[in-house]
Amino acid sequence: MWVFLGKRLLLVLLTLLGLTVVVFVVSHVTPGDPARLAAGPDASQEQIALIRTEFGLDRSLPVQYAIYLKGVLQGNFGRSIRTRRDVSDDIKVFLPATLELVFFTMGLAAVLGILFGILAAAYRDTWLDHLLRLVSIGGVAVPMFWLALMLQLLIALKFNLLPSGGRLAIAMSPPTTITGFFLVDALLTGNWAAVGSALTHLVLPALVLSSPSLAAVTRMMRADMLDTISREYVVNARANGLPERLIVAKYVLKNALIPTVTLIGLRYGWMLGGTVLVETVFDWPGIGLYAVQSSVAADFMPVMAVTLVIGLNFALANLVVDLLYGVLDPRVRYA
Amino acid sequence: MRTRWLPGILLLALAITALGIAPEAQAFQVRDGQKILIFGARQAVPNLDPHVKTDWSTRTIQQSVYDGLLKYEGNPPKLVPWLAESYSVSKDGMTYTFKIDKRAKFQTGEPVTAYDVKFSFQRIMDLKLGPAVLFMDIVDRESLQVPDIHTFQVSLKKPYAPFISTIPWLFIVSWKQVMANAVDNDYGQKWLMSNAAGSGPFKIRRWEQGNLYELEAVENYWKGWKSPKHIGGYIFKLIQESSSQKISLLKGEADLVEGLQPDDYEAVKTEKGVKIEEHPGVTNFAIKFNNQKGLTANQDIRKAISYAIDYDAFVKIYNGHAVLMEGPIPKTLKGHASKLPVYRTDLAKAKEHLAKAGHPNGGFTLEYVYVAGLEEERLIGLVLLDQLKKLNITLNIVALPWPQMVARGSKIETMPDMMAVFVTPQFFDPDAILSLQFHSGAWGRGYYSVAYYKNPKVDELIDKARVLKDWGQREKLYHEIQRLIVEDAPEVWGMLFNRRWAMRQHVKGFLFSPVHYTGEVDMYQLAIEE
Repeated sequence: MWVFLGKRLLLVLLTLLGLTVVVFVVSHVTPGDPARLAAGPDASQEQIALIRTEFGLDRSLPVQYAIYLKGVLQGNFGRSIRTRRDVSDDIKVFLPATLELVFFTMGLAAVLGILFGILAAAYRDTWLDHLLRLVSIGGVAVPMFWLALMLQLLIALKFNLLPSGGRLAIAMSPPTTITGFFLVDALLTGNWAAVGSALTHLVLPALVLSSPSLAAVTRMMRADMLDTISREYVVNARANGLPERLIVAKYVLKNALIPTVTLIGLRYGWMLGGTVLVETVFDWPGIGLYAVQSSVAADFMPVMAVTLVIGLNFALANLVVDLLYGVLDPRVRYA
Repeated sequence: MRTRWLPGILLLALAITALGIAPEAQAFQVRDGQKILIFGARQAVPNLDPHVKTDWSTRTIQQSVYDGLLKYEGNPPKLVPWLAESYSVSKDGMTYTFKIDKRAKFQTGEPVTAYDVKFSFQRIMDLKLGPAVLFMDIVDRESLQVPDIHTFQVSLKKPYAPFISTIPWLFIVSWKQVMANAVDNDYGQKWLMSNAAGSGPFKIRRWEQGNLYELEAVENYWKGWKSPKHIGGYIFKLIQESSSQKISLLKGEADLVEGLQPDDYEAVKTEKGVKIEEHPGVTNFAIKFNNQKGLTANQDIRKAISYAIDYDAFVKIYNGHAVLMEGPIPKTLKGHASKLPVYRTDLAKAKEHLAKAGHPNGGFTLEYVYVAGLEEERLIGLVLLDQLKKLNITLNIVALPWPQMVARGSKIETMPDMMAVFVTPQFFDPDAILSLQFHSGAWGRGYYSVAYYKNPKVDELIDKARVLKDWGQREKLYHEIQRLIVEDAPEVWGMLFNRRWAMRQHVKGFLFSPVHYTGEVDMYQLAIEE
């Protein structure tokens, strides 16, 4: 177990090192002059040159990479040429918002997806199954930006049920920071007004972000349930007179969950990437929105930092999924 | 099992819906009897330092928390005394003396002194960022004098007639407050990113980076307020998407928005409780030719294209909410020469110039580059493509992300035949346009000079005009310069689109000034009256 964990962590480190090379090269070979952009439309050549020197853009690429890597190893992601702010500080501000949205979305996709999958399998070929299959096909087929706009127009504007964007009601100050997740912090501090506001603001972006994952989980869960239900040991359990609820909960669900857990783990990384669009439409102040604002100004450091953060999360999620196999399936041994 | 799930699910759905139905923001908020306006804006303010950044969103808040010696107000913009109750210019036009208003005080309660003005000037010159471009060649440390605590004097290194027009963008900081918050000799840069050290009418109440900024009115603002119903503060909320801005305005989540699509302005203006402020701007659209390389280096080719364009299309793209440019300087800017022989659609003349250029039958390809995502520029490209087809010229339309487009324009060799560019003058003087776009000394600066235009006579006259004290003499030269430039056809002058803001009816006092950047709002003027 520990050897396995050590090996996998080493692999994560190597993956991230490779990622730094890739994002650095891609950022720097893309045509663009960040110093000129940062200096402004009427900047003098002297101003442009000063900014280039200040941010080390006049140095060779290997030297720039070495400085960058040294900084990353010390937890320093450099400075944004566009805003002149420390990228590490910005990530600390924006990452909790994204993680809160992604965790909430994952929870939504996992709970609803598994529930829908079980229901679809349990009521196979009934109207409920057909309805849930329609939802799962729609979740994959409908573009997220369209769904986001439709939900804003219908749920937020037409029926005025939920807010159209942001993390909290505009006049409301964020709850005292403990985790950086507004919903959790509001719960922990007993700030019930903020709980309601944070929850209602989460619903629409989470629905949009979860739609493809919810669809995938539902389909996977349904297929695995149907596959497991037809296994001999389930038939045997039934023959032995075990209650149906026990059979489904103990023998079918647990075995059917394994591929679904893998899928949910993989969707985590995808969701982090997907926040770029959702955060832009719903004005969710997370790293996705931060990456968009930075990339249009050829501001490399924030873009590289966001990529690395997402890469790290993706790698760690995969590791957690691998470890969860052992919990769900005692036959799995880590060697 | 079936029946046990359903009540739970229904309860959850009801609970979420009930929370949603809880009273949502009806635009402005009321706090302690004060009305707090909600402004939905597309662009964040990542760095508020007045000596580092200048763009429309940043300047909206900078104007709120800082004062300048003078201020631009109204249309046409007038220079109104602000921190300086008066100023005088020496006979030779080289020394400017500003008398500081003795009532002026910072939000800390400290009086604003000439030392603060000097410090602010020095800080700009030392940092060499953002607004420094306005002063770098004109002023140095030795130019700045403080004869007494209420008098500030600046002696120019060389004559520069538009100097006074640049002064409103020099925001004054409290030197004591800035230096008290400086770390590692950073001149207070880190602190000033999200804090203010000014004397302006609003102070920062809440700063949520990348999300919203809340400012509250300084009740005993030293300059006083124009209306007793002035806003008690405002929340600058980042709303990136045009569609989201529209929804926020209609849903009652915002009082004022600035970034709707042209069609959306048409759609919301008929909604109850919504009004549109619309004013002719000074941001001009031009198709810049590469005047030094390729076929467009030939003046007759440039003229042929200038005559081929369908100018009505420029206005139609904005549903009529734009006016055509009539030369290099917008009509709304002083110094504009009327009755210039500008180009208008005339295919016969276009063919004439094509023949003069040695290409009577066309038969060549040109490249038109625009910013990916800017719909107006794409449509103009399509109109151009259609018109040039009539001359047997093929147009290659290329959409590039903004960074790549700026990179293409940074050298003559990489500059395409034509590039779509929007330009906003930074101060209200013809020099803000002519010296940065049509003087060969500006080549390689920023990206306003991507046409690489050079006419020695124009260079000479621009240099001459910017040092003359007498406006009458300057104006004559500017008229001559414009005629010379029009004759050379270095770019296609497009349109000045109207600036528009959509707002709730209860927002009063909106004061437009064309010298403001796109989207910029002078919050000091606003009131809420139901």
